[in-house]
Amino acid sequence: MRQISNFLSKFNANMSLDENLVVKKDDRYFLLDLNLKSLIRNDFLYAGIYLGRNENDTFLPSFNLLAMMARTEANKITVDEKSEWLFICGRDVFKRGITRLSGPRKRGDYTLILNEQGDCLGFGRITRDLNDRDEGKVAVKNIADIGDFLRRESTQKRHERF
Amino acid sequence: MSSKDFFVNRYRQLGWKYTSVELNQAIRINSMSTERIDVKRRLESRGIQLEKIPFLEAGFWITKSDFSVGATTEYLLGLYSLQEAAAQIPATLFSELKDKIVLDASAAPGGKTVQLADIMHNTGAIIALDVEKRRLSALSNHLERCHVSNTIAYHLDARQVRRLNLKFDRILLDMPCSGNFATDKEWFNRRTIEDVLNNAKLQREIMIEAKKTLKEDGEIVYATCSLEPEEDELNIDWAIKNLGLQTQNIDCYGEKGLTDVFGKKLDASIQNCRRIWPQETQGFFVCKLKKRTNLR
Repeated sequence: MRQISNFLSKFNANMSLDENLVVKKDDRYFLLDLNLKSLIRNDFLYAGIYLGRNENDTFLPSFNLLAMMARTEANKITVDEKSEWLFICGRDVFKRGITRLSGPRKRGDYTLILNEQGDCLGFGRITRDLNDRDEGKVAVKNIADIGDFLRRESTQKRHERF
Repeated sequence: MSSKDFFVNRYRQLGWKYTSVELNQAIRINSMSTERIDVKRRLESRGIQLEKIPFLEAGFWITKSDFSVGATTEYLLGLYSLQEAAAQIPATLFSELKDKIVLDASAAPGGKTVQLADIMHNTGAIIALDVEKRRLSALSNHLERCHVSNTIAYHLDARQVRRLNLKFDRILLDMPCSGNFATDKEWFNRRTIEDVLNNAKLQREIMIEAKKTLKEDGEIVYATCSLEPEEDELNIDWAIKNLGLQTQNIDCYGEKGLTDVFGKKLDASIQNCRRIWPQETQGFFVCKLKKRTNLR
């Protein structure tokens, strides 16, 4: 739970998860409701809302958790349609693609990336002062984006082939 | 006689003339994440043309798209799933699903699990099983992508479902089956009647165990994407005679189940089942079962 709380605090996301309903399975965390908690056995593979996993002491959030954070006052940057597509292809965000900002804008801050419809596409880290007027430079380094679902599918297919 | 001639001859005996089919790609909009009309509008704004599938509430044919509909932002956000049209039918056949405990006995890769969660508005609980661990990764990704929150997945053979010590209100038996030629161009070269009989046996074993975990007033939906009557009408006839199950009338796309299979007369209530010969959709078979009233 500490890893999740630390992660949330990096985004100024003011949300609390009921510790009694968070279960850890190997290195992965899941959020249950009371009903699922009453039904679950220890040998489950997936349950409730997947929150993320620890890898080498780093917490890697699920896209469900990021979507939940996006419903709070967490740091957010909204991007235009072209930047949306580039971002889910794994690319960084340029200053000129940013259409709205919410929360701090200092170098090193973490931020969620949203499209114009308000959907959370992933998150990144601000690489330069966003008050800077230079539009043509990378503003947010992509850390995770929903294109990951496709990358996972291709990895699975590759594994199935061999 | 070639394998193809053998099976095509069987279909003719069952009253259907073989024709090859080209299937339209279909999607199902997940209404738990957003309004259906909004997703449709968003896809159309990207140049994807959709046509409502007349016999499905949330299903659409893709009639034109210049790129893969499995790689749009909306897909990655879980606003819709790629799901063949006939495969969208079984989950819609249950009566009230909200707040129920539902078993999805052969769940991976998860298309129908997500659909059940959607219909249930993420209430109640779905217990999703699959015997192949590799396929369960696909299920997990599907659940995460589509924001499903009411499911517990186990790596478990459906024949061992009693280990969970649960009783279910609804059971989806989307059976492991022989498939059909409409979704597999090499089907006739790959399949033999022995495969069909082996699958039919496995399906009976799953039905036996599933029925033991069904609540008294519970419902089973049995589905295969096989055209072979051993996996369809003959199995249901066997379940009626040996498991104390009875078919329920369903109102969905497809023809009545066959009651005369290669000269063998089956229980008349098999007509309640639906057989879908490949045409607009792949080949499919579906039926709804409950425990026989006088045996409860």
